[in-house]
Amino acid sequence: MPPTGAQVRRAARRKDRLAEPARLEWSKEVRTLRLLGSWTTAALAELGDLPAGVGPPAGAVTIDGAGLLGLDTAGALVLHRLIERLEGEGISARLAGLSDRQGDLLELVAARAEPPSAGIAEQGGPRPGSLEVLGRATLGLAGEGLGMLSFGGAVSLALLSALVRPLRVRWRQVLRVVELDGVRALPVLGMLAFLLGVVIAYQSGVQLRVYGGNLYVVDLVTITVLRELGPMMTAIVVAGRSGSAYAAQIGTMQVTEEVDALRSIGVAPLDLLVLPKVLGLVVVLPLLTVFANVAAVGGAMVMSAMMLDLSPEIFVRRIPEAVSLSSLMTGIAKAPVFAVAIAAVGCYHGFQVRGGADSVGSHTTTSVVQAIVLVLVLDAAFSVVYSWIGI
Amino acid sequence: MDGKQELAWDGPLDQALEHPVELRGIRTCFGATCIHDGLDLWVNPGEILALVGASGCGKSVLLREMILLARPTAGRVRLFGEEVANLDAPAANRLRRRIGILFQQGALFNSLTVLENISVPLKEQTDLSRPRIRDIALLKLRLAGLSADAAPKYPSQLSGGMHKRAALARALAMDPDLLVLDEPGTGLDPAGADALDELIQDLHQSLGLTVVMTTHDLDTLWRVSHRVAFLAERRILASGTMAELSESDDPKVAAYFQGPRARAARSLEWNRG
Repeated sequence: MPPTGAQVRRAARRKDRLAEPARLEWSKEVRTLRLLGSWTTAALAELGDLPAGVGPPAGAVTIDGAGLLGLDTAGALVLHRLIERLEGEGISARLAGLSDRQGDLLELVAARAEPPSAGIAEQGGPRPGSLEVLGRATLGLAGEGLGMLSFGGAVSLALLSALVRPLRVRWRQVLRVVELDGVRALPVLGMLAFLLGVVIAYQSGVQLRVYGGNLYVVDLVTITVLRELGPMMTAIVVAGRSGSAYAAQIGTMQVTEEVDALRSIGVAPLDLLVLPKVLGLVVVLPLLTVFANVAAVGGAMVMSAMMLDLSPEIFVRRIPEAVSLSSLMTGIAKAPVFAVAIAAVGCYHGFQVRGGADSVGSHTTTSVVQAIVLVLVLDAAFSVVYSWIGI
Repeated sequence: MDGKQELAWDGPLDQALEHPVELRGIRTCFGATCIHDGLDLWVNPGEILALVGASGCGKSVLLREMILLARPTAGRVRLFGEEVANLDAPAANRLRRRIGILFQQGALFNSLTVLENISVPLKEQTDLSRPRIRDIALLKLRLAGLSADAAPKYPSQLSGGMHKRAALARALAMDPDLLVLDEPGTGLDPAGADALDELIQDLHQSLGLTVVMTTHDLDTLWRVSHRVAFLAERRILASGTMAELSESDDPKVAAYFQGPRARAARSLEWNRG
């Protein structure tokens, strides 16, 4: 059996330990416990229990420290506990051979050590029952829903006031968002969309070729990409790339009290931190969607040329016949809604951060998961609405 | 023991002693700017050395170089007589175990309780049993002046002073020979800073620690330090007891130690007797 990690670590520690391990030696004749080796933190681990024979019948025991190579507070504590135990069994212990320093140290430790029975209250008391867990989880979910609703309301109000007084919006920040979350996302988004187009064209081409319907690849790709996959994939990429960044940024500012500092200076955190992100994403996500659409259709075109003998010229000429303008617009119309959802969820979880680094991490994760789920739910809702109004 | 008389303050390095810290010809540069150049400093065993200097003169960087968290651009660092430049990882770890550090912001792990925080070095560095680690950690907590009530609390539930004390307890966890304190008094009210000063003196006396600290607090300098090293012009410009430095003729030293605040701190020390 290979050694476990803990065993390897322990062996390494033993190797680099300088001190001689602490030991106890019992001589029955003179009723003396000899302390040997180094009674220091790193050398205490192998110290066993009291040697057999020290216990009752009661009588005085001498503890001889003349052989000690070293004593620190941890060693003194162990010694103190040993004396306590002997006394608990009605055996009086006499100390001998300790230096003045060691005696002082033992005294200090004895004065500060907790009584052995003193337990500390564990945080939170007993483990909660399953009913309590369920109840708390429900309450937590309800609270979160309410919190998100009220945050959404606050963001909507801020958006409205921005519409009324557009000059008060921090356009410089909006432009930063456009650059960081839009322009810089182009390479990764372009690559993903291109590959998506390649895959769809390949999979549908394999089927359509059997029926000689090569040309209909164009219909299939353009409609699925423009109506559904283009907007959805763009939103998912942006949620993972930017929504997480929003949560982490605001969360860290929350930890370092920068958000409170903003408030105290009289800057509404919503105006400075949230609104520019929402507006920036609303501007940039439709543009990214168009870009992704182009890249995906381009990927399909390349694949068709290679596999289905469909020249790019024929492919491009087929597009207006295959797909109407309304398909493109229904796809792009979803993007601003997705944008608001991604930005709001990311920012909301940023503001929910309390405490430290742990909380930042967990809220960042939640924000990405919730943003992606929300994007998919909204997409389904759009499909229902579109089928009602018949486009 | 009155260490103030026994130890040689400013004399040549005594080769017979094992100096906890010995810095020789330290040069630290960030890009084109150098904050230390030809800096020599050593710490005598059993003393409390305070490192002072204007903000931004490189005190904290120097501390980090002492505790193996940063490397100087050039120069020699010896800890407990060992050259640190070409130590392998286990040897460096062995040295680290002998050094306890109180970071400026405490640097307690937020996701762990106070007791768990103090137990971390013990769990990582020793093979002690769980109950024994717990016992030792509780003792350190008490040594740092906290009661057992603080043990199950999380760092976010502690006041500034308690936070510092809990961090000090963690620094003491492995019974270090050298205790390094980076601005121990910052963020504490005067009473809290006084109490921490007393605690440091207490621990120094009862545990026989060597202490190196940086501080701006003149009261702390007068009350706690045995020796003060004044960092300016990229080196240790002067070192000596507070009384010596405050009578220095060097205009730079005088400016730092003889300002109105310094005089007030000194008269306070005298009134205390």
